[in-house]
Amino acid sequence: MELTGLLNYALFMGILIGIYALLSLALNIHWGFTGLFNAGVAGFFAVGAYVSAILTSTPAGGRIGGFELPVVLGWLGAMVVAGAIAWPIGRICLRLRSDYLAIATLGVAEIIRLVIKSEDWLTGGSRGITGIPRPFGDLDYMASQAAYLALVLAVLLAVYLAVERQLRAPWGRMMRAIRDNEAAAAAMGKDVSARRLEAFIFGSAIMGLAGALFVHFNRSITPEAIDPMIATFLIWIMLILGGSGNNRGAILGALVIWLIWSMSEMLTDRLPAEVATQASYIRVFVIGLMLQLVLRFRPEGILPEESARQRHSTP
Amino acid sequence: MSAIDFINFYVVPGLVLGSIYAVGAIGITMVFGILRFAHFAHGDMATLGAFIALAFVGTGLDPWTALPLAMLVTAVVAVGIDKTFYDYLVKRPKILTVMASLGIALMIRSVVQVVWGVDPQPYVRGIVRPDSFGGILLRPRELYTLATVVVLVVGLVAFLHYTRWGKAMRAMSDNPDLARLSGVDNRQVTMLTWAIVGALTAASGFMLGINTELNSMMGWHMLLPMFAAAILGGVGRVEGAVLGGLIVGLAEEMSVLIVPSQYKMATAFVILLLILLLRPSGLLKGKVL
Amino acid sequence: MTQPKRLAAALALAGAAFAAPVHADVTIGLLGGLTGPIAGMAPAMVDSMKLAVGQVNEQGGIAGGKLNAVVGDSACNPQNATDAATKAVNVSGAIGIVGPACSGAVLAASNSVTVPAGVLTITSSGTSPQISKIDDKDLVFRTVPSDDYQGRALARTLKAQGVDKVAIAYVNNDYGKGLAESFKDEFEAHGGAIAGYAGQEDSKASYRSDLAELAKGGAKTLVLFHYGNSAGLTILRQAIENGFFENFVGADGMRDEAMIKTLGADNLSTFRVSAPMGESGAAFDAFSAGFRAAGGDPNATFAATSYDAAFLMALAIEHAGGDKSKLSASLRAVSSAPGEPILPGEWAKAKQLIAEGKDIDYKGAAGDHEFNEAGDVPGQYELFKVSGETYESVTEMK
Repeated sequence: MELTGLLNYALFMGILIGIYALLSLALNIHWGFTGLFNAGVAGFFAVGAYVSAILTSTPAGGRIGGFELPVVLGWLGAMVVAGAIAWPIGRICLRLRSDYLAIATLGVAEIIRLVIKSEDWLTGGSRGITGIPRPFGDLDYMASQAAYLALVLAVLLAVYLAVERQLRAPWGRMMRAIRDNEAAAAAMGKDVSARRLEAFIFGSAIMGLAGALFVHFNRSITPEAIDPMIATFLIWIMLILGGSGNNRGAILGALVIWLIWSMSEMLTDRLPAEVATQASYIRVFVIGLMLQLVLRFRPEGILPEESARQRHSTP
Repeated sequence: MSAIDFINFYVVPGLVLGSIYAVGAIGITMVFGILRFAHFAHGDMATLGAFIALAFVGTGLDPWTALPLAMLVTAVVAVGIDKTFYDYLVKRPKILTVMASLGIALMIRSVVQVVWGVDPQPYVRGIVRPDSFGGILLRPRELYTLATVVVLVVGLVAFLHYTRWGKAMRAMSDNPDLARLSGVDNRQVTMLTWAIVGALTAASGFMLGINTELNSMMGWHMLLPMFAAAILGGVGRVEGAVLGGLIVGLAEEMSVLIVPSQYKMATAFVILLLILLLRPSGLLKGKVL
Repeated sequence: MTQPKRLAAALALAGAAFAAPVHADVTIGLLGGLTGPIAGMAPAMVDSMKLAVGQVNEQGGIAGGKLNAVVGDSACNPQNATDAATKAVNVSGAIGIVGPACSGAVLAASNSVTVPAGVLTITSSGTSPQISKIDDKDLVFRTVPSDDYQGRALARTLKAQGVDKVAIAYVNNDYGKGLAESFKDEFEAHGGAIAGYAGQEDSKASYRSDLAELAKGGAKTLVLFHYGNSAGLTILRQAIENGFFENFVGADGMRDEAMIKTLGADNLSTFRVSAPMGESGAAFDAFSAGFRAAGGDPNATFAATSYDAAFLMALAIEHAGGDKSKLSASLRAVSSAPGEPILPGEWAKAKQLIAEGKDIDYKGAAGDHEFNEAGDVPGQYELFKVSGETYESVTEMK
């Protein structure tokens, strides 16, 4: 196993970590800043992915799309549509208490998944969509991955800066005030539901963007990509571990969990054959256990939310 | 379609499914009511209960004899899980317990997969043709399922209303602080609640398994319908959970009359969203958490 | 504590695992859907791949060394599939991949990993027509025919047997949908009538109402494009128990011995299944004998195609002398006529012939695998009925 191999593996992991970090940042907006338990991340991820796919892919019989627009438009479209569907969902669901919101968003994501699987004319159904262009796709293996990684990191940086800026702005303070004491915030005249909806839409648009980035990497999208385990729960665990309420924590959580997820498989594969299949299930067990340990020993995560004083002292 | 066909192929399966959901929903509504959080590990606990029953059947027992044993074991497991993973979160925001229960769901599921594998397995091999009761087709296992549900529900309601412990549970559900002041030991009530919940989920998992097959995802797929049933009926109301379960079960089976069958799964979700929007306190006016 | 320390410990452990000595061996990756929706089928598929690998090593090894097989879990979704493929290719040094199992995983893994890395991929269960369309530099092949073929062949066969009216139930994924659509197309084109056509999600408790809806059209035959180890079993059971339909037909996904055990052979007398087959039953028998000896069920879904994929991969590697860049051409060479026929398990013979520079043609357990331009196989099929605890061929399907 040589250096080029390891480097390619690292580049690949970087790309997936970057995409998951985006999702984690977005979930941080929902949960960390606004206190919204969104258990339907997969739904917004899916919408963004499919919108970008439909806009940029080559035509295929029996399905709308094939507009073959430039990739950038695909990504913009993904963000716009994901944010747009967050509006009615938010209006309907956000007034629910946190447990109920979790169940409702879980249900919404499942409905989105069923619609995607069943409406062939829109999404290609279970066949999915192929022929999606990939930026820098014509380069060599390593160069192509490196270029795509650079792209993902650029997007991640842009989003991170945007979110951080919002956090330190009056908007961010208001969101935290609403999250921590809704009654007081409302008494001060803040339009609580409107602000919550804004945060919900903002986060969902970013989830859509992450979906778009994912789709272009693989040049294809099929409904299995929006399985709740891999597209919702893993991200929740990343955020809790990394530190909800802290953007750097969100990114760190994505890094740590994905590393564990990916590298643990290499250990289990080296076990004897009969045990190797079982070992795949044990991976899931370990992830669940990690969540318990974090909740017990360090519920604020690796990088806790900064206190107000810390926030103001850093420019 | 004739009336008898409608009853046999839509109503009866709907009622059987509905009773399975009902028993599960009772557990969910109890956890909502007394412990005040959404128990996301409920479905996978049902799976565990079903497979524990399978283990007993493997030793030569008849399935329906294995049921009470499985219920007992699962009750103990439920209490154990609470002591180990939920206890230290009691003082913290409930949302953390919800997240913990998500993690527990994954853990239980992987244990089932490691121990029993992922192939579907039946309790009993072969097929069972139904008997005809004046045109209505019913199998013994379906009759037993309906009977078991009735026994469990009646037993539980009686327990909650006429025994000291039952009253303590209801007190804690209404107002935990006041209950503590009146001498109710919340920790013991919590343990008792988990024991009952564990037993009930095992029963619902078993009944699902005996009417179809067992597989490691069976409980997870029931989770959202069970939540829908509990919320539909009114959180914290046992009778509500039963009513909600029956409605969700019937609605699912009859949905194929209206929508393409791929969307059968969506029925429960749609009911859930509708009730959350229109009447979050549920049909029988339960709590709104 | 603990997070940075735990991370460092994990990395050190991983590093130690890698530090295992590397022989001058050849490594291939076996990617299966070990977790996920088809987890039930995965063990049989991976075991039959390993049977091939075992036979290679017992009968002389490959290209001067042993054949190492590294198993990876694609979990049937693109995220895990690309991760597993990347690890197999870059960390384990695989020069060929057998798998992944699900079409979506194949699409993603080929597009992001194996095609850019120039690694040959042979999937044994990816049946979506989309796979033929991958821009793959001739690196993606499959030993399982596209859904299109099997659906059509089954339609023609049923029509030829005098069945004019059927109802179709399919699992709502690319496997079931693909088969259902191609079947419907061909059946109607030959004058047949579809009296009911509906998709089902796996894992529901009752399909009785679905069956009632399907039966409304008055068909006596139900065609099931489902998996025998999940919803297909439930649907078939409920259909038989309630007297819906008289005859039942399934595709290869339904051909599972576990189903006979669960439902009982006497209840399945009117049940027929199709499956891809080699020209001579001898190839399947050879595989079957070997697989049963290893404790497997040769009739398990995709077991035969998986074996063929792994064995073909090995033959290609031997033919190319272990040179990754020549694998694609070698694969075509060893699988196409003309050539001395090689049956499953005949590794030593093949090795000998390759060393002598003679042309060979592998006749697989699941078909002859004459790959076309896109790397697909046309598929020959046979219809089976239940016989005792297993399946017996009734007729070839044209």
